Amino acid sequence: MTKRRAHKSISETRSAAVAKGIISVVLILYSFIAIYLIGNSILNAFKTKPDLIANTFGWPNAFVLENFRIVLVEDGFMRNLINSLLLVTMGTALLVAFSSTVSYGLSMYTFRGRGFLSNYFTIGLMFPIQLGILPLFIILKWLNLVNSLFGLALIYAANMSFSVVVFSRFFRGFEHALLEAARIDGANDFQSFIFLVIPIMKPVVFTVALLNFIMIWNDFYLPLVFLTNSANRTLTLGIYNYTADFLSNWNKVFAGVAVALAPIIVIYFFFSERIVTGLTTGSVKG
Amino acid sequence: MKRSRAYIGFIVPGFLIYTVFMIVPIVFAVYMSFFNWSGVGPMVPVGLANYRKLLFSSRESRIFFNALTNNFKYVGVVFLIITPLQIVFAYVLYIRIKAHKYIQFMLFLPYVISTSIIGFFATMVFDPNIGMLNNLLAAVGLPHLRGAWMGDPNMSFKIFVAIVIWAFIGNGMMIFNANMKEVSHDILEAARIDGAGELAMFFRVVLPQLGSSLNTVSTLSIIYALTMFDLPFLLGGVQGGVNNTLDFVQMVFYRRAFGGTYFGETSLGYGSAISVTVLVIIMACFLLLRALIYALERRQAGSI
Repeated sequence: MTKRRAHKSISETRSAAVAKGIISVVLILYSFIAIYLIGNSILNAFKTKPDLIANTFGWPNAFVLENFRIVLVEDGFMRNLINSLLLVTMGTALLVAFSSTVSYGLSMYTFRGRGFLSNYFTIGLMFPIQLGILPLFIILKWLNLVNSLFGLALIYAANMSFSVVVFSRFFRGFEHALLEAARIDGANDFQSFIFLVIPIMKPVVFTVALLNFIMIWNDFYLPLVFLTNSANRTLTLGIYNYTADFLSNWNKVFAGVAVALAPIIVIYFFFSERIVTGLTTGSVKG
Repeated sequence: MKRSRAYIGFIVPGFLIYTVFMIVPIVFAVYMSFFNWSGVGPMVPVGLANYRKLLFSSRESRIFFNALTNNFKYVGVVFLIITPLQIVFAYVLYIRIKAHKYIQFMLFLPYVISTSIIGFFATMVFDPNIGMLNNLLAAVGLPHLRGAWMGDPNMSFKIFVAIVIWAFIGNGMMIFNANMKEVSHDILEAARIDGAGELAMFFRVVLPQLGSSLNTVSTLSIIYALTMFDLPFLLGGVQGGVNNTLDFVQMVFYRRAFGGTYFGETSLGYGSAISVTVLVIIMACFLLLRALIYALERRQAGSI
């Protein structure tokens, strides 16, 4: 793909340039909504309660950490934060492990039923997991995994169709000669996967992990349904509990939001291009 | 390509997890929908009774069809407003308007924010008492424009759509954008040499090439539309907002499946019947979508 195209052609009249300028300005103004909502929430987390009531939409009089202490220590948000981290780590690790090996097996070997299996693994793109919630509940009950972070992580890992597509696309361009060389050196298939393939696929693993990290960290519905015990609640559920009764939690809710939002904003700041390309390579047929 | 049995070792673990936690639940939901079962005790086969109750009993069907109408109202909004907007935004980014990098960064940003936080932002803006919007209107001398917003049955759905646009436009927009970047440069150059401006380029060259991304985005949007839950739940509560204007099928399902004593019985069979009905509707929408896109492509091929 060429980086820059010559867009300044003779056909680009003055009025078109003006129109484009206006669009830019409008969209830049529109972007202030996001900046304001995010910035204001984070700033409000540092205000004392009286400051917050008198001055909800402005700059804090002084930066105090009291709200964070109340929320994290007294209200148990630390528990929610740890739960979210555990869930994200387990879910992402399981998902990457299962989906990368499945894609590798499907892409690098020829065998009967390969086409059928490829379709089988992508059909999950069409079936939203929400529609299987009740049977999932029963299956988890049989396995004694209701109200367990690990049980929920397994569900995220099973939702692997998108990741299988992304990994398969990566393996399609994989150099088979490398594997031949490894085999001549005496490595079996699993050894070459671990010592040869895994180091090469680090970038795509990172992309898949990033996308699923964000998805699991932010998910609301599955934790709402499967984590009913307050000791297992994730951050999104903690925030929901505050907002459901926000007037009595007015000073705390901002600190809770700041805790959940800050890591995502930092990740997005550094990896926004990666996130976008990851999402679109899994979606557009190339 | 290698001929070895090792592929079995690579595929089996993922196959088991995917089958047990993804495919079996969907199939089992179909099975369960023909039974009356509370989760413990025997499963009582009831034939189509759960579907009859959902679709024809006066009380339940009214709730269900009110919710389903909202789902389809939203599908309408997707195709009339959201998708065109995504294509337009994708195009202005594609032609690299000034500050396009910053604009892309900011337009996509809400996509990585949790819906529970989006719901909180909505409270911050639209709450009638402490929300920014009413405070702002009062401050700029327009207090008569203050409203109940989410509490106003004529406004709640519109505000809901506005929030969806703000929060979730990014993914589809970038899929269209990626598709535009794949349009052949020869075609673009040829059109430019013919003196086509940005607008003409958009309609004559870029838009006709968006078939595959239109297919993808529409598929994602249909799934999202018919399983809509998080945002209306957070904005309007479990009962679906004022006068049920924000009630969606998935919320009816939630009340029936997990409501327990608050909303009457807990029937896994009835809940599954709701899920299966949604599944059938989604499949029907996919078929319709395929037929539409096929017809469009045929017409295009014919016109060249």
